[in-house]
Amino acid sequence: MTATTLAKLPVGASARVTDVKADPVLEQRLLEMGLIPGASVTLIRIAPLGDPMEFRVMGYSLSLRRNEAAAVAIEVLP
Amino acid sequence: MNRTDRHTVALIGNPNTGKSSLFNALTGARQKIANFPGVTVEAKLGVLKLEHTEIDLIDLPGTYSLAARSPDERVAIDGLLGRAKGMAKPDGVLIVVDASSLDRNLYLATQVLEFGLPTVLVLTMVDVATERGISIDMDKLSAALGAKVVAVNSPKGENLDILKQTLHQTLHHPAKPLELPYPEDFRRGVDTLYQQLCDIGIKLGYTPARPESLRLLVDASGPFLEECEEVAGPEFTRQLHEIRDKASGGRSLALIESTARYGQIGQWMLQAKRTQNREGRTLTDKIDAVLTHKLWGTLVFVLVMGLIFQSIYAWAGPLMDIIDSGFGALGDLVGSTLADGMLKSLIVDGIIAGVGGVLIFLPQILILFLFIALLEDIGYMSRAAFLMDRLMARFGLSGRSFIPLLSSFACNIPGVMGARVIEDRNTRLTTIFLAPFMSCSARLPVYTLFIAVFVPAQKVLGFIPLQGLVLFAMYWVGVLFAIPTALVLKRGILKSKVTPFLMEMPSYKMPRARNVLRVLWDRGGSFVKRAGTIILALSIVVWAAAYFPHSDEIEQKYDAQLEALQAKYEPAVVEFEPDFEAEPQNSLEKIAKAHADHEAAIAELEEEHAEDEEALKAAVLEAESALVKALDDLRSADFETASGQYEAWLEYTEAASAIENDRAGDHLENSYLGVMGKAIEPAVRPLGWDWRIGMAAIASFPAREVIVGTLGIIFHLGAEEDEESGTLRETISNDKSFSLATGLSIMVFFALCAQCAATLAVMRRETNSWKWPITSFVYMTSLAYVAALVTYQVAHALGG
Ligand SMILES: Nc1nc2c(ncn2[C@@H]2O[C@H](COP(=O)(O)OP(=O)(O)OP(=O)(O)O)[C@@H](O)[C@H]2O)c(=O)[nH]1
Ligand SMILES: [Mg+2]
Repeated sequence: MTATTLAKLPVGASARVTDVKADPVLEQRLLEMGLIPGASVTLIRIAPLGDPMEFRVMGYSLSLRRNEAAAVAIEVLP
Repeated sequence: MNRTDRHTVALIGNPNTGKSSLFNALTGARQKIANFPGVTVEAKLGVLKLEHTEIDLIDLPGTYSLAARSPDERVAIDGLLGRAKGMAKPDGVLIVVDASSLDRNLYLATQVLEFGLPTVLVLTMVDVATERGISIDMDKLSAALGAKVVAVNSPKGENLDILKQTLHQTLHHPAKPLELPYPEDFRRGVDTLYQQLCDIGIKLGYTPARPESLRLLVDASGPFLEECEEVAGPEFTRQLHEIRDKASGGRSLALIESTARYGQIGQWMLQAKRTQNREGRTLTDKIDAVLTHKLWGTLVFVLVMGLIFQSIYAWAGPLMDIIDSGFGALGDLVGSTLADGMLKSLIVDGIIAGVGGVLIFLPQILILFLFIALLEDIGYMSRAAFLMDRLMARFGLSGRSFIPLLSSFACNIPGVMGARVIEDRNTRLTTIFLAPFMSCSARLPVYTLFIAVFVPAQKVLGFIPLQGLVLFAMYWVGVLFAIPTALVLKRGILKSKVTPFLMEMPSYKMPRARNVLRVLWDRGGSFVKRAGTIILALSIVVWAAAYFPHSDEIEQKYDAQLEALQAKYEPAVVEFEPDFEAEPQNSLEKIAKAHADHEAAIAELEEEHAEDEEALKAAVLEAESALVKALDDLRSADFETASGQYEAWLEYTEAASAIENDRAGDHLENSYLGVMGKAIEPAVRPLGWDWRIGMAAIASFPAREVIVGTLGIIFHLGAEEDEESGTLRETISNDKSFSLATGLSIMVFFALCAQCAATLAVMRRETNSWKWPITSFVYMTSLAYVAALVTYQVAHALGG
């Protein structure tokens, strides 16, 4: 298991959220959308221009910009 | 009958969960429904009638949480708390929950349940959930939440009666607030703050609800916090920070709240939800693999756009001809029943030319809306935003600006309003400012009219029709000017840090015929209504300005000329009025008919042999010898006299219609509109416009499409018609003062100008100040002027 952020997750890989650290507004948004510590996340695809990224979390699709994804600390699941 | 009670019930839920669908199904309203988050941005009231009970239902914008940041979320929360203007405080709630992403939807539900209002939880999208292998035990869910749960399918009308009954029962029972297991310090913080709030409440003018103290504790910013700080002063702020510190115990309060809620939801789900892992990917995944693919996605995007622009030409043509000939027939009918004079001129030259000239574009507008409605209903809008977000970020815009800007291509007004989904004020203002740059459907008549006149119907590279291509290019004009505008705004006065994108991607859905038809009906209806009101009124004003003073001096001058002309010919010639339908009686009529038949035959031949010049020449020669032969057959005693009379008649009618043309032209030039036009002509000359176009452009300030009607009126008034006067299109192409360069310059001007009073009014409402609409108008008009100027001068120099 390696610790990194959602922004570095390879396409198709899954991870578990360990922490969310950003400015208060973004942090609250991310938490409310289900990215709480312990939640599992999968990166489905990255937009053709390299940003944003589309994740599967809590059974729905969430699209985040790379800099937003970087606020979410994860451990990659094998 | 018993006294009926009245209740107010709010529909609240995450975005795109089917609130408006349910609202429409329950109240018979016609709220817009589409498959992307952020469709509804205003609170809307509707009435649900039950036996002995009338319920005011409030449809609200969607929100993921009660921690509101963007204006549309604020509307939702104000609606729930009863602070929306003109709406009562709800005494019941329908929480609308998307069953296919139940966990996240329940987050908001737990917040709302803490208010302790009588609540029914409405599950939607159960069909989607089932398809994904999710099954929900509604009894267990209901027991856990302490609220009734009903599953409905509003598009299919399923279970609506059960929902109505359940709601009716629920409203008559008091409910109790949901209690969540927060950590002790956190709970104490909420309590302490609530006591403070009750004191402040006197100054606020209302009693805050208990869950509001939780929001005050957790949310770092927000309108409620600002309001409290304002009325309660710095002492309150200091205490708030103290309470927060104690409640958090060094952790983030938002983290404490969200883990408490999701923790509870997770436990409920263990009992109430089963997920069967289906093999393979969902349909949405498979479609997305193509539509958001680097190559295929781009290809599909280009193809779809191309298809839209081509079909606007290919499909609209026949329908437009029908409407056109309808108005033509109406004009002829009125023309032949009314005597010449003011009334006839008002109806034929004013109303029919003005309103009819605009209405003829209805088919094109419907086709454009058909495509937009389909894309919205399928769920493509969010994908387009996903594909384009990177570019938007380059221009300093949020990905959330994309959908409002995209919907501006239909009409700028929903675009301006749609900007409510953007949290950051400066980004929202930028988006509002940019919306009118997107070519709305009201510009379509202007483009298609001038493209039809000036752009030949040929193909580029053998298969791409040139006219559609030019139309496509016109849509880019606005975008090209919007980009530097955005850069300047975002670097300058409207600077802001990057705003969150954070967007839910809805699953694809089959477009629903009813939704699409509703959009077409509403849009078509509002276009026709505009034509019947504002455009009708403007047409009358423009007609009057172009008709009066209609001086007697001018009349007498041309009457005298006409009399002098008539004196030169014998009465038989002046009074001759051939009727080609009737059997010709005398030699003169026979000769005239032979010529008329010949002309009709030639016109037919020209159409038939349009491609082949040689064949045409041969056929015309043949027809001419047929005419000679026909005339030969008519030889009789008075043939020579009659032929002479016919020649004289031709000469006379030509001279007479020249006099009538001059008369009409003279009246127009001396009309109020003409005098004003001459005054402004120097200003529009450099754009390649004459005074008529200049005046038409000014008259179309309230609505762009008026230009088409106004030109129709001016041309009608400016030339005495003979029977076969053609459409506005033909009139323009025969008019010497119009060239390709002029046409391009008009199109560019209308692509960029802010000529839409309704949009400016909505901008003022959404920004709460006249500053933005006025800036927008001045900026866009100047830009339009300069761009049209450059276009004309360049095109003219290149020989256009
Ligand atoms: N499959 C399915 N689709 C539904 C159901 N209810 C609504 N829809 C579709 O879901 C989409 C969203 O519906 P809306 O009624 O616009 O949702 P909303 O909650 O008002 O959305 P916002 O105003 O953006 O918050 C539309 O495409 C509807 O046709 C349902 O029960 N099943
Ligand atoms: Mg809605």
